[in-house]
Amino acid sequence: MASKINPAFQDKLKKYGAVNFNACYNCGTCTAVCSLSTPEESFPREMVRLSSLGLENDIKSSLKPWECYYCGECTENCPQTANPGELMMSLRRWLTSVYDWTGLSGLLYRSVTFTISALIMVFIAVLVLGNAMSFQLAEMMHYGHLFEMYVVFAVLAIIFIPNIARMWNFTILRPKVKANLKIYIKSLPDLFVHMFTQKRARDCDKEDNFRWLEHFILVLAYLSLLFTTVFLDWFGTKSFFVVVLGYVESFFVFVITADFVSSRIRKAKALNKFSQPSDWLFVIWLMLMGLTAFLVRLFIDTHMIDNNVWMYIVHLTVLAQWAIIIVPFGKWSHFLYRSFGMYFSSIKAASEKRKG
Amino acid sequence: MKKNLGVYICHCGGNISDYVDVEKVRQAIEHEEGVVLAKTTMFACSDSNQKEMVEDIHQYQLDGVIVASCSPKLHLVTFRNVTETAGLNKYTYVHANIREQASWAHSDDKEGATEKAIRLVRAAISKSRYAEALYPNKFEAEKAIAVIGAGMAGMKAALSIAEKNMSVVLIEKENTVGGHVAEWGSLFMTNEKGSELVQRIHNDLLQHENISILTGTEVVSSKGSIGNFTLTLQKKHQPVDNLRETMEINVGSVVIATGFDHYIPQRGEFSYLNNENVISLPDFKKLTDQSTGKTLLYNGKEIHDIAYIYCVGSRQSEGENKYCSRFCCISTIHTAIETKKKFKGIRNFHLHRGIRTYGKQELLYDEALQNGDIFIQFHDDFPPEVSFKNKKTSLKVKDLLFSDKELLLDADLVVLVTGMLPRIDQSIGQLFKLPKGRDNFYNEIHMKLRPVETVIDGITLAGTCQGPKNISESVNSALSAATKAFSSISNGLVETEPIVAEINGNSCVWCGECLKACPFEAIEQKEIDGKIIAVVNKSVCKGCGMCAPVCVPNAIDLIGYSDKEIFSMIDALVQ
Repeated sequence: MASKINPAFQDKLKKYGAVNFNACYNCGTCTAVCSLSTPEESFPREMVRLSSLGLENDIKSSLKPWECYYCGECTENCPQTANPGELMMSLRRWLTSVYDWTGLSGLLYRSVTFTISALIMVFIAVLVLGNAMSFQLAEMMHYGHLFEMYVVFAVLAIIFIPNIARMWNFTILRPKVKANLKIYIKSLPDLFVHMFTQKRARDCDKEDNFRWLEHFILVLAYLSLLFTTVFLDWFGTKSFFVVVLGYVESFFVFVITADFVSSRIRKAKALNKFSQPSDWLFVIWLMLMGLTAFLVRLFIDTHMIDNNVWMYIVHLTVLAQWAIIIVPFGKWSHFLYRSFGMYFSSIKAASEKRKG
Repeated sequence: MKKNLGVYICHCGGNISDYVDVEKVRQAIEHEEGVVLAKTTMFACSDSNQKEMVEDIHQYQLDGVIVASCSPKLHLVTFRNVTETAGLNKYTYVHANIREQASWAHSDDKEGATEKAIRLVRAAISKSRYAEALYPNKFEAEKAIAVIGAGMAGMKAALSIAEKNMSVVLIEKENTVGGHVAEWGSLFMTNEKGSELVQRIHNDLLQHENISILTGTEVVSSKGSIGNFTLTLQKKHQPVDNLRETMEINVGSVVIATGFDHYIPQRGEFSYLNNENVISLPDFKKLTDQSTGKTLLYNGKEIHDIAYIYCVGSRQSEGENKYCSRFCCISTIHTAIETKKKFKGIRNFHLHRGIRTYGKQELLYDEALQNGDIFIQFHDDFPPEVSFKNKKTSLKVKDLLFSDKELLLDADLVVLVTGMLPRIDQSIGQLFKLPKGRDNFYNEIHMKLRPVETVIDGITLAGTCQGPKNISESVNSALSAATKAFSSISNGLVETEPIVAEINGNSCVWCGECLKACPFEAIEQKEIDGKIIAVVNKSVCKGCGMCAPVCVPNAIDLIGYSDKEIFSMIDALVQ
């Protein structure tokens, strides 16, 4: 099937952060240096080509953007400074907005004003609700805990499940990938392995495993902190073990994210050089999450919290902004899409293999 | 007959001595008649050996020198110069090739190679005994140069010659100077317009008293050879007067700068002439140059999406034009960039077969990429298809860089990027009997060693008559041709090699066979003392020897390769 060229797509993609990719003269150096690209699943050159030609449907059905873990080698080696690494990142942002049925993702990525207004509105909502409870700490903490519990399920049910279904539609159903239930089940381990280990990030930068290790610990610390606060009621518990566990987890979260923020400020590596608002938002809010949770528990243990209710309000604001804006529509969702990307990709490969 | 001969046998590092026993060769020839010195040497061409040779020539009073080494193409001139330095006539030097003809050719048979080398050296010694002192032929030369064609190359060549204080006649068939460059708008990298550039150089030409410019004038015949060409010029037919003025000029040398013709696509080639939205590159350049509005209009229609199809009429695997025209990629990309700057809402689509924007012109390619121009490379087996439906022109192309994925695009205008052709009017080439290369452009002697000279002495090539070039390359070749033309006649004398054919008037019976055999028209029929015989024009003869064997009464000898010398060599070889 012949595809129609659409150069207007170049401009669209630039709103998602892509820079200079039209400088590409197709030498293929990026693909050659990429440690994740294989002859069967070759990128990023192909994605650069699709982007320049504006073949949206081909990009929509591709899982390759999720297979890249942005080590930045391609960008460092590109003779045209076309920045393929950042293009792949932009494609992930664009795909996130394509998958998102609400359309909010795209708005958040494209407009800083919209993002800031959303953050402010959440802050106002927290204040209004706090005021309704006359800023009574016990009541606020009770509802805060309930909110945290429900929002997890709500985001999953309303946003993530439909969006992943859309992703499945674009990448498996529409391209008519023939896969039976057996293939779906057999490929399941890939989903979980990639979700919890970011195995590919480790393959991505073979010389330097530190970034992967940091990332790995961060994911574990973050998920277990979520579990500790939601299900073990960290702020309300009397259990010494749970209290210490929460301290350790939140400590790791803010220390590692602080390191990420500092490397983005220093522009240490290629992947840090082109930070978009969405990237800043993600790391800074995660850092604030860890830090404020840590401080709230510290205030409780030092009996300072009753006189410093603002501390909890700050934490609750960060938490609400995180849970309502960044997790469902921002960069957090990449965590899910990446894992499902690997899962679908493995299903595709298995079906290709069966075909012959 | 020479008596004191010196023979040098070269090892050539090991190139010769690995297969030929050079010491055995030396011993075999050292007692040959007349040989007073026989030496082996590691590198005969080395400075130290050259010095030693000069000393030997003085010490042993040598009157003939033979070096047995590599091909004479490499070092004949080197050793001729050595003997000349030592005071001998350089044409008495004889060269024996025992590398290409013995050691390299017979590396599997060392004894045979050695035996062959001995015979080759013996043959050289025999020739040396008869080798006579020769002196270059000298003629008086007309101190003026004709430049044919007043395009960019011709104008620059004329200017360069005039600046060397030589008079120049610049002849142009058209009524104006400047050729194709005058047609063009702004040029890369100066942004000067083609017409402005032509005007500027034309003004320079007009200010030079050494230059006479003859426009509307054709060269209709040519006589003579280097140093003394007589050209007959004719004013082109003017509608006002029915007279056809002719004049003759005498010049010492001629620079050919007749330029190129644009390739004109055939009807139906990518829908050319069948679809009004398909035009050629020169037409497109004219269109963008002459349009002044904010949007580009063509036939009253706004133009936004422009598709360029490259290599139309060039690099044809089936057709006649196999070559790349060099300038078209650059010209197209430059035009695309300029068009985008000048008009609103332009989008460029380049359908190409590999972009060749060499040198500084790579900056243009980069700029086009940065502008968001789309480049799609196609394979020559799958050229783009142009179709016209519902008043819309669309193209289908297979992207070579995308596993031949079929792509579609709509275009308001399709530009066929056409290359350069050799001039359809080949009259100048026929006039001077210029050889043509594979691509039908005029051919130089050697593309690297003698890049502007032709096999016809005194005739040099400038610019695109020799092959596709951009303006700066044309000018480079023009300056080179001008310098060559100038230096060959600058002192009013022409020297040619003394190795030419010689006709013995007593034996010659004028049968005309030699005239038929001569590829250079160096033989003329002449009546001398009431007898009709053949005479050799020494300034034209190249000493190729084609005439000697066809001569029925054996009246022709080749100086430097006389029957006497050749027979003595054959005797030595079969001895």
